[in-house]
Amino acid sequence: MRWGLEDVDVRRGRNVALAGVTVPADPSRITVVIGGDGAGKSTCLEALTGLLEPAAGAVYRPAKERIGYVPATAGLYADLTVQENLGFSADAYRLSGRERSRKAAEILDRTGLSGARRRLGGQLSGGMQRKLAVGLALLHSPELLVLDEPTTGVDPVSRVELWRLIGQAAAAGTAVVVTTTYVNEAARAATVILLEAGKVLASGTPDDILSGVPGAVGRAAGAGRPTPLSWRRGRSWRVWAPAGRLPDGVQPVQPDFDDAVVIAALAGEGG
Amino acid sequence: MWAMVVKEFRELRRDHRTVAMMIVLPVVLLVVFGYAANFKVHDIPTAVFGPGARQAAALLRPPTFRVTQVDTAAGESAARVQLRDGQAVVAVVTGGGGPLVLLDGTQLFSVETAETALASAVPTAAPGSPSPREQILFNPDLTTSWVMVPGLAGLILVFIGTLITSLGVVRERQSGTLEQLAVMPFRAWDVIAGKIAPYLMVAAVDLVLVIVIGMSVFHVPFAGNVAVFALGAALFLLVTLGMGVLISTVSQNQGQAIQLAFMILLPQVLLSGLIFPVSSMAAGVRWISYILPLTYFIQISRGVMLKAVPISALGEPLGLLAVLAVVVLGLAVIRFRRDLAPAGRTKQARAVARAGEPAAA
Amino acid sequence: MAALAEARGASRRFGAFTAVSGADLAVTRGEVVGLLGANGAGKTTLVRLLLGLLRPSDGAVLLFGAAPSVSSRRRVGYVPQTLGLYAGLTVAENWAFTATAFGNSGAPVAAGIAAWRNELAGSLPLGVQRQVAFAVALSHHPELLILDEPTSGVGPLRGARLWDDIRQSADQGAGVLVTTHNMEEAEQCDRLVVMAGGRVVARGTAAEIIGDRTVAQVRCDDTTRAFALLDAGHLPVQAHGTTLRVGAPAAAVSGLLARGGVDATIEVVPANLEEAFVAMVAGQEAA
Repeated sequence: MRWGLEDVDVRRGRNVALAGVTVPADPSRITVVIGGDGAGKSTCLEALTGLLEPAAGAVYRPAKERIGYVPATAGLYADLTVQENLGFSADAYRLSGRERSRKAAEILDRTGLSGARRRLGGQLSGGMQRKLAVGLALLHSPELLVLDEPTTGVDPVSRVELWRLIGQAAAAGTAVVVTTTYVNEAARAATVILLEAGKVLASGTPDDILSGVPGAVGRAAGAGRPTPLSWRRGRSWRVWAPAGRLPDGVQPVQPDFDDAVVIAALAGEGG
Repeated sequence: MWAMVVKEFRELRRDHRTVAMMIVLPVVLLVVFGYAANFKVHDIPTAVFGPGARQAAALLRPPTFRVTQVDTAAGESAARVQLRDGQAVVAVVTGGGGPLVLLDGTQLFSVETAETALASAVPTAAPGSPSPREQILFNPDLTTSWVMVPGLAGLILVFIGTLITSLGVVRERQSGTLEQLAVMPFRAWDVIAGKIAPYLMVAAVDLVLVIVIGMSVFHVPFAGNVAVFALGAALFLLVTLGMGVLISTVSQNQGQAIQLAFMILLPQVLLSGLIFPVSSMAAGVRWISYILPLTYFIQISRGVMLKAVPISALGEPLGLLAVLAVVVLGLAVIRFRRDLAPAGRTKQARAVARAGEPAAA
Repeated sequence: MAALAEARGASRRFGAFTAVSGADLAVTRGEVVGLLGANGAGKTTLVRLLLGLLRPSDGAVLLFGAAPSVSSRRRVGYVPQTLGLYAGLTVAENWAFTATAFGNSGAPVAAGIAAWRNELAGSLPLGVQRQVAFAVALSHHPELLILDEPTSGVGPLRGARLWDDIRQSADQGAGVLVTTHNMEEAEQCDRLVVMAGGRVVARGTAAEIIGDRTVAQVRCDDTTRAFALLDAGHLPVQAHGTTLRVGAPAAAVSGLLARGGVDATIEVVPANLEEAFVAMVAGQEAA
């Protein structure tokens, strides 16, 4: 792996925030770290960007000037206009005059914010704010783009546009690391890291994770929980039999990526 | 509804900062007021000069007067210097032409107390002899605004320095942009200096404004050296701004910052000598004023504006402000850096890879 | 079956701004209905109309068969996005507050959350907070539940567990209305009502809403180059693991790729809910 975390431990006080976590980040590839609240996703990114030092393991990252980072909150100044925000970012990364105007125009175009140059950051809608924040992080053409839950709370149309931006960054050669709680976003990644309670429960391409599902998966109807290893999908239940034998009345079913993620989490819970 | 009342109490119980403000603060204020607030002054530092010094000194009795110096050889000029430099508040010059009492007009309550005491002391001790001549220096009409304006200048600086600076930094933390700054190619010092500089400039402008208004509207004099005043103001600002940054490092949001700033501001208003003279505070409370930066700035501002005190006599307040500035700013920078950069590097971890080098896999 | 909550051609205007226009919606017992739309689509206003917090400018709104009132609101359990828990109080104290407010003081804390009864609500992880908020909303046995993005942000396993709880209350006879802009939550609902720009633009199951929309799925060795080509050609392309999905006719896609010298297999596959939703909303905005 070119950049990323390798077998990293992070401690916060007495708590182990991350244990033996590996998150690879390679140019032109999108790595998605998915996990619930408190799983350690933000901690991974903080270790990756150098905001905190791991207790063990190695972190590979480019110099500060080559990283673009958008934290889970904000990522832009609410009291500055879109144009001023771009100016600040350009100053911070020391872009030359020509480069600055060219890149700013490109970012405004790609984020669809050309018409909102003079609007205050705080006056933009949630989706536009996030797009601007990602745009600001891309202004200096970083080698590594790190985004913490960029689409949480964002409306569906903006979310798709954000993923378009992310896709474009990857296509241009940037290594992208994104954290999320949404399973359908993990399905977009080239590399998925499923994180829970500071440990990696599964990693690989979405196909890898899908094919790595042990045992059998089935579908059951009815109101009562069929087995302890069951969860709701719409009106019916999904049942997982790790040993491969589904109970009677349960119809076998081809697992999809959503199933695979829940199963990996269940397996991790027991383990 | 009763449910609301119970809930509100339960929430309040856990909000320690608010509870501190609601219970601890009134208690502290009461104690402070009780011991500090004293318009009647004791222990007025008094110097006595001239041939009849010893006899005069005998008349100046405690608790009102505290004779600090008896010097038969020195005369009026020495007395004026003592008053100017703040060594004494009352100076009695005996000798040719009858005794002359010089009073420091910047110490309003001390002068009032001293005049009353003298008015009764002299006729008692030497009935029939003429009342000594009195001269009030520096603030002959005992104009309150002349004494308050230099003090208020300091108060305003404290306000801006501490409260507004802390809000500015906390706002960054609250909005999450602080994290981002840490990852950008800034050094911790860039961020700190960049954050403080605008407030420094605004505070400086404010100070000039207050002084100019004081001089034009209230006719407060500016008798001393502008450069000395500027030096004192600069040091003082560094301390208050540093305190603002420190407050921001222990506050998660603007509400908390305001509460903390308020709790730090209030003692300074009451105990810095702005209203109640420091010398009249009970010893148990007076030590607090000695650690407040505003106390020293008021000494400098009143001294320079009203008494034209030279820098040589301001060594103590200037020096202490400098020390405070170093300590407070130093602490603020250390704490702030922790927010902006990881603490130290451990043996096992290594951050590698400049652009172009593949990482060892 | 009588609807628990119903909107018939409901509209709501604020001055010149129309927040909701001609909305039809019904929630009956035992079902989970998803109200899907972006922020500003009118979901919140519609919910406020159903709860009687706002009066409709046009049309009718019924709560338990009559105009909404304070007493009928008592039969509703509502969990907003912000959960409505007091962070500075323990779970037991939060429970006590709600129970007392609904005239149910002294009710014991629900078994499912009893383990955390003495924990400060604010100190619990988000998934547990949502569980607690849900249990608290259920504490007065409402017949209608309105949940705002109930599983947003909690991750796959916790989210699944929360849905267990939500489905259980539907099984026990409550009607559940979930407002969301999250496709995963939407797919868990029995049927969806899709809003955009204050109007209901689609209704039905997820499959019905997708209809026969398709996308072109691209598999190739060099997805990076393929993405760049398609993007430069202004086709809406999204990276999807090792494939690309393009919301454009297969012919256009293969043409661009062939001209760029990229060897790829292109398959026409059904769109997913997100793609259908975005297409619908974009169409709405263009209209």
